[in-house]
Amino acid sequence: MSAPTAIATGELVLSAWSAVSPFGVGREPFREGLRSGRSGIAALDAEAFPGPYTTAGLVPDFSAAKYLGRKGTRLMDRLTALAVTAVGGLVEQCRDDLSAAPERAGLVLGTGWASVQSIMDTTRDSVNGEKPYHVDPAKFPNTVMNKAAGQSAIWHTIKGPNTTISGDWLTGLLALSYATRLYRGGHCDLVLCGAVEEYSTQRAWLDWHSGEAGGDGAAALGEGGAFVLLESAESARRSGRGPLVRLAGTGFRSCQDGAGVRDTLETCVRGTLRRAGVSPEQVRLIAPADLPGPAGAAEDEALTVVFGADNASCRRIHCRAQLGDTTAAATVFQLAAALAEVERGAVHDTGEYALVTGIGRDGMVGCALLGGCGDPA
Amino acid sequence: MDSAREPRRVVVTGLGVVTSIGTGVGEFLTGLRSGRSGVKPITSFETAGYAHANGCEITDFDPARRLHEAGAEELGRAGQFSAAAARMAVADGAMPVRALREERVLVSVGTTDGESRDLDRLAILDYQDGPAHLARRSPAGRLSSAIVRELGLSDVEAVTIPTACAAGNYAIGHGMDAIRAGDVDVALCGGVDALCRKTYAGFYRLGAMAPEVCQPFDRDRKGILVGEGAGILLMESLEHALARGARIYAELLGYGLTCDALSPVAPDQDSLARCMRLAHENAGVKPTDIDFISAHGTGTKANDMTEVAAIRQAFTDAPPPTVSIKGMLGHAMGAASALGAAACALAITEGFIPPTINHRETDPECQVDCVPNQARPAEVRVVQNNALAFGGNNAVLILGRYGTAA
Repeated sequence: MSAPTAIATGELVLSAWSAVSPFGVGREPFREGLRSGRSGIAALDAEAFPGPYTTAGLVPDFSAAKYLGRKGTRLMDRLTALAVTAVGGLVEQCRDDLSAAPERAGLVLGTGWASVQSIMDTTRDSVNGEKPYHVDPAKFPNTVMNKAAGQSAIWHTIKGPNTTISGDWLTGLLALSYATRLYRGGHCDLVLCGAVEEYSTQRAWLDWHSGEAGGDGAAALGEGGAFVLLESAESARRSGRGPLVRLAGTGFRSCQDGAGVRDTLETCVRGTLRRAGVSPEQVRLIAPADLPGPAGAAEDEALTVVFGADNASCRRIHCRAQLGDTTAAATVFQLAAALAEVERGAVHDTGEYALVTGIGRDGMVGCALLGGCGDPA
Repeated sequence: MDSAREPRRVVVTGLGVVTSIGTGVGEFLTGLRSGRSGVKPITSFETAGYAHANGCEITDFDPARRLHEAGAEELGRAGQFSAAAARMAVADGAMPVRALREERVLVSVGTTDGESRDLDRLAILDYQDGPAHLARRSPAGRLSSAIVRELGLSDVEAVTIPTACAAGNYAIGHGMDAIRAGDVDVALCGGVDALCRKTYAGFYRLGAMAPEVCQPFDRDRKGILVGEGAGILLMESLEHALARGARIYAELLGYGLTCDALSPVAPDQDSLARCMRLAHENAGVKPTDIDFISAHGTGTKANDMTEVAAIRQAFTDAPPPTVSIKGMLGHAMGAASALGAAACALAITEGFIPPTINHRETDPECQVDCVPNQARPAEVRVVQNNALAFGGNNAVLILGRYGTAA
């Protein structure tokens, strides 16, 4: 036998991002929308989306046909169409690398229930049809939770590892952690990593009944997705993309033994800083989960204990209020919001850091720490 | 050139299994050795209207007995399987729960359908009026956080990997990478699924459902039978396992992933062969090192033919014995390859190759030595565990006997 594949220990960076959000398709609407402070939440068309909510952060005028064309999109559900579109925004920024070696590019796609509309529609067809197997065979593959990832790979010819990740509001952070290991394990040279959520009647009811959604069950839901490109610093420089941030680490913990979100998140963040050798004073930008209610207050307390209050030397950015509760896509939207700030000059020096924090409904918390890249050498 | 370092070695020290041929390692091992069949008429959901409805259902699972900390009513059927299998894996590995709580742990659980039984019920009920507890416990993420809750873990990263029918291997691979890189010393990884109405209806409609039994590689094979269950592996870095004097079932040598990027449903021979080669390379083994293959072997015409052709492509010499435990267990979806990995670990420890049951005559179009009907005693050093999924997702895992790889 020969030696197993070595662990790649070089510096990892995020070098590009894409977003499909309640502000529209693309990075520019996302940047502009966040900067303007306006809300992406609007009245819902009650006929198209009957359900418990009257407002939502929908991707405006989104349809598969509009953004992907009519060919090959007839059977696509909303989640898959949003995913293919959001991944496409990133593919545009690494097309040469992708066509040169599609087997060396991985796709890591986070989702909550996948398209729970497709899933539950199929069950209903089975129950309401003349025979229990009178379900649409062409749409059955939409009910498998990795459909969006598989279809995105087909659409954009991404032939390396293709993985679907799920973990409630932490999904985006968990996807980033998974993508890092995929790279370090030698399974690919480039990872397109992100998460997607659809607005659908079925998801709306599930989130409504989940109660803790938005801390109060009544916060508006949002949808869309964001993706980041993870690669080695060397590969980013070679391609001319230029790294945006270094990935300094991710950390996760669970609330146990009566420990609340406040203490658990504080321990999680301090541990992540310690492992990365970063002091709290170096963190200049925070994109918190910003849940309404007690969980949000606990997050605020934990961050204030570690970093001091929201101020000019450690600024907090709040995208949830503008996008709605995007559940599985929430932390990846926070990450994209942080990257948009980095592009504007925040977290520039190598000694400066940004932090994204997440809180799950199942007692899990997590964070990602990103470091500035300095001026190009 | 990027800097690199040697990966830490990863071993399997505990197995937790919930299956239709037995729950717990002892029962599962007896089942594999004796070629036990888990097939029975499905009772999990209404089957009137189907011409046939056999499946590999679990009928003797008692969540109250299996779960200590996680409230059974707060978990769906898949979450219960998951937490119970993890609890068993930790006990089987003689890892005191108190000691486990002091560790940094990765929990990584694969699934096809998530908490599908609850989603079925919610879709059928006019659930505008609830019940809210079903909605709350329905996200797929709960399949991994159920383990966290059951074992009371604090320093833990818990992730669910819903990469359909290859998800078990994906989840184990993730744990392997985390331990290899030194992120954690301990991981609980595997897969889980529960029988559900939606998936049965879909596969039946596609004509993929066998009427009576699943007959992998057989000339008369008629398709899959759905199964359910969970397989969770307690995985440790070799140093960690040796330091606590743990019994070692097997070493996890490596794995590979590929995506066909061609069809949402049909498998692809070239991409699967590439996946096997990547797995061999990642593990540092040659095709001739492999003593047997635990195939995906679903028993459909397309899968078995494509899979055997891919094996022939990746193994230029005559391929080793190639078996499918799905004859016994049915297709346990997200749990399937995790149970395959557990079976491989037991085969290595106990010195046998599990049989492909319900076998009468091997299809000349997928000619393999499938170890028909009777388990075979064998010295097993290196094993390959295949998994394929809708979406064109392939995952191949390589396990070896600890002590022979160095």
